[in-house]
Amino acid sequence: MTYVKNRLRRTMMFVPGNNPAMIKDAGIYGADSIMLDLEDSVSLTEKDAARMLVYEAIKTVDFGGSEIVVRVNGQDTPFYDEDVKAMVKAGVDVIRLPKTESAAMIQKLVEDIEHWEDEFGIERGTIGVMAAIESAKGVLHAPEIAESTPLMMGLAVSGEDYTADMHTHRYPDGRELEFARNMVLQAARSADVYAFDTVFSNMKDTEGFYRETNYIHELGYDGKSLVNPRQIAMVNKVFNPTKEEIEDAQNVQNAIREAKAKGSGVISMNGKMVDKPVVEKATRVLQTAKASNLIDEEGNYIGE
Amino acid sequence: MDKVVDLFLNNNSTKQKWEELLSSLGLHDFSEREVDVLDHTIGLENDEGNLVGTGSVAGNVLKYIGVKNDEGEQGARFNKVVTALSQYLTNEGIFHSFVFTKAKYAESFEHLHFNLLAKTDQAAFLENGTPDVTDFVAEIPKVEDQEHKKVAAIVMNANPFTLGHEHLVKRASEENDLVYVFVVANDVSLFSFDERFKLVQEGTKEFTNVKVVSGSDYMVSPATFPAYFLKSPDDLITVQTAIDAAVFKKQIAPALNITRRYIGKEPISRTTHYYNVSLAHELGPDIEVIVIDRLQKDDQIVTANKVRQLIKDGNLREINKFVPETTYKFIKKNMPELQSRIEKGMNINGN
Amino acid sequence: MEIKTTAVAGTLESSDIQIMISKGTNGIDIDLESEVKKTYGDQIKKVITDTLKAYGLENVKVKATDKGALDCVIKARTLAAAQRATETSDKPDLEVL
Repeated sequence: MTYVKNRLRRTMMFVPGNNPAMIKDAGIYGADSIMLDLEDSVSLTEKDAARMLVYEAIKTVDFGGSEIVVRVNGQDTPFYDEDVKAMVKAGVDVIRLPKTESAAMIQKLVEDIEHWEDEFGIERGTIGVMAAIESAKGVLHAPEIAESTPLMMGLAVSGEDYTADMHTHRYPDGRELEFARNMVLQAARSADVYAFDTVFSNMKDTEGFYRETNYIHELGYDGKSLVNPRQIAMVNKVFNPTKEEIEDAQNVQNAIREAKAKGSGVISMNGKMVDKPVVEKATRVLQTAKASNLIDEEGNYIGE
Repeated sequence: MDKVVDLFLNNNSTKQKWEELLSSLGLHDFSEREVDVLDHTIGLENDEGNLVGTGSVAGNVLKYIGVKNDEGEQGARFNKVVTALSQYLTNEGIFHSFVFTKAKYAESFEHLHFNLLAKTDQAAFLENGTPDVTDFVAEIPKVEDQEHKKVAAIVMNANPFTLGHEHLVKRASEENDLVYVFVVANDVSLFSFDERFKLVQEGTKEFTNVKVVSGSDYMVSPATFPAYFLKSPDDLITVQTAIDAAVFKKQIAPALNITRRYIGKEPISRTTHYYNVSLAHELGPDIEVIVIDRLQKDDQIVTANKVRQLIKDGNLREINKFVPETTYKFIKKNMPELQSRIEKGMNINGN
Repeated sequence: MEIKTTAVAGTLESSDIQIMISKGTNGIDIDLESEVKKTYGDQIKKVITDTLKAYGLENVKVKATDKGALDCVIKARTLAAAQRATETSDKPDLEVL
């Protein structure tokens, strides 16, 4: 497995790193990314066992094409070094650093990854990194964190720890997270990396989940962190492009094809230049539409 | 997904929830005798934060295990609780654990690799981990050609070793080729296990065919036998005796070729008398129970209980009448320490 | 490698296996409890044995309680128990993997 900078990342499903039953089945739900957790979901006395389990699982379990992210323990813990070493050797796609508060922390992570890549004869750059932003300091430093390395895959807001740091807690309306969500998203967009929203843990409150997911989709987030596989379809539904968006995107592609056929360097549609953000948006829309089975092989719309 | 949490029973609202859960599962005995000995308790919370399972440990014994059966999750919850308790124990460096439980739950534990040591209509006793009863028996010293020898056993708390104990050992020693003296290992007595064991060793030195061994966890004492899962607390002695006898008869005696067990006749305590009668019943016919009359000195029956009362009174001269020289020396040297243990609340009545 | 203490890893939950290892005298001696012992017992024991040998352990007493673990889980739990028993959990020897 190798880190790919750009891919569909609507859903990042958290899986406790010491739970074989959940790890074994993690690949069957179609999450875009699976985050195997060595940190919060693993008790202090089981850190070593979870590390070995995740190591063996990455090497042998079929995760059905999902991107594999591992959340290692923080740099202030005695588990961090061995976690990074084992995950590099296992060949994970992305390492997620919890409690990131500075560019230096990410740069240290990249150095450590490169050290073990060299040691194990793995090509440098095959593992990406992402930063979990979980404190006021992390939020204020989000721009420098996002730009700290070319290997940065994305930033994730972590609501529980952040609200605790802010002397508050999660509320249904999410106002307590407003600044953090916007700051992290700005930083991610500005550095051209992905932005992930925090988890929503009340499984009973379907309406609340949709409300929150719609809201972060509107803001411009790429995806949401999840704790339950049932939430995957719900997120995908929110992130699905409309029929009109898909047709627009297909038109953009047609315009590109025509321009290429004519050997023209300038792409235009409806009398306007088709520039890079438009092309990228079209690519994203069609990728999502395909992943959600909204269009068939020929590009015909087959959604409801 | 259910979450494992620590429960602190000194918090009243926690304890109330815990009792409610267990009561709904048919456990009702929350007396001090049962609850005060618990070292650690864990709970299982479901997604809504309700308590749906629990388990405790006391020393190396798992206790008060109960799980709610919603949506057929009973098995998974049971396994989760036992896992959490076993992880707690291993982190404490305890790799060998026991459980006393209702007979109908024995199988659930056996599925988790617990080994059944004894079972009656009402209760079961199981162990898990290492070293187990096979290792325990293997470690006990043996003599050549033991399978053709006449081998007897005595189980004693020896709190402390008296002339009465010596009398019993002497008789067994004379009447058999080999005698095992199992010293009860539970540390709930005035004299610690190490002290009791040493005094038995010293006091039986002259009998060359006697081997003193630790009863380890396999001599099931009424002092530590949990009663919370029994139908009635009155069943304690009956069930404990039956379990204790079954472990001895099935797990320990065969490998050592023990065919006789010596006990002292009980002239005072009805409980002990009853114990002796039912022990004989449970051990037979494979093991013959031989009851020996108690030794008397100055027209008084020699008992360890009496010696402990004399320690409390500081009456060394009187003590000297009832104990061998080795025990006397120890008591004399440690009188202040022993008396301070009594002052601190050590119960010196009972056996 | 030398076993310094008895150690346990893994849980009794579905798809897992609990492995307890302690010092042995007679090679690798495995006491296995599993609902699928008849069909997969030999395979489970082989994974445990191979993993312990790869870790450089020759005389080991193993108690394994299987709840339907995949080979990779058996291997991971055996390794974790071996690391704990040899007191190397904080600096596990990944080179043997």
